[in-house]
Amino acid sequence: MTPKNNDLNTQTWLEEYGDYLFCYAMLKVKDNHLSEDLVQETFLAAIMAANSFSSQSSIRTWLTGILKHKISDHFRRQKREVMIDDLVDQTEKDGLDIFFKANGGWINKPDAFPNPEAALQQHEFWKIFQQCLARLKPKQAEVFLAKEIYGMSNADICKDFTLSSTNVWVLMHRARLSLINCLKINWKD
Amino acid sequence: MLNCKQASQLASRAMDEKLSFRESAALKVHLFLCRNCTNFTQQLNFLREASRRSRFNRNFKLTEKAKLRIASTLC
Repeated sequence: MTPKNNDLNTQTWLEEYGDYLFCYAMLKVKDNHLSEDLVQETFLAAIMAANSFSSQSSIRTWLTGILKHKISDHFRRQKREVMIDDLVDQTEKDGLDIFFKANGGWINKPDAFPNPEAALQQHEFWKIFQQCLARLKPKQAEVFLAKEIYGMSNADICKDFTLSSTNVWVLMHRARLSLINCLKINWKD
Repeated sequence: MLNCKQASQLASRAMDEKLSFRESAALKVHLFLCRNCTNFTQQLNFLREASRRSRFNRNFKLTEKAKLRIASTLC
């Protein structure tokens, strides 16, 4: 099934999904210009392939799928390991061992961020935030981006990423611990 | 009694969904007694605020120039 005509309006796509796709690409390739190019290629490919769109998925999911291919192509061209879609994080058990002792106590005791509001005003903070995001395991970063930054609902995330709601909160918890840890280490007020 | 690892999991899940009465009560008791986990919940709130705002930060957006360039190749 093809999208309705108004869904095919590429201007709307760019406005609605451009930033999300750009962010997603940045997580993987960590380069502004390259990310912009990948987003552009994605939209071009999407227009060419509009009839492959299945109304089963959201346009965002469909576009993200195309972008993933573009990113894989890029890494293949670079002859690097392709690790776009490691399904579940390799480090099993619960993956929390780096944060907690065997008795369940904190290894590094959390302390409050000294001046949170001031941090959010600073350019440097956002650069670090983005770098920390890019350092997460791929699946964690994708889910975190969709959920916490783009406000996707739990139900949509379960559907789009084919995860159970337990998977989602486990991923989110690890992502949050890792991000907080990374920010604490790298952000000095 | 919850340990910190368990409490942190509940605190994180509470950001996304309503905990059961028992879970919520256990978490409250733990937070009342534990400075570290109370700090952790503050960190969680800070992270959420930062995440919400990041969407509007220029590092996370296509520049207008890039948008125009992309738009021009699409027509």
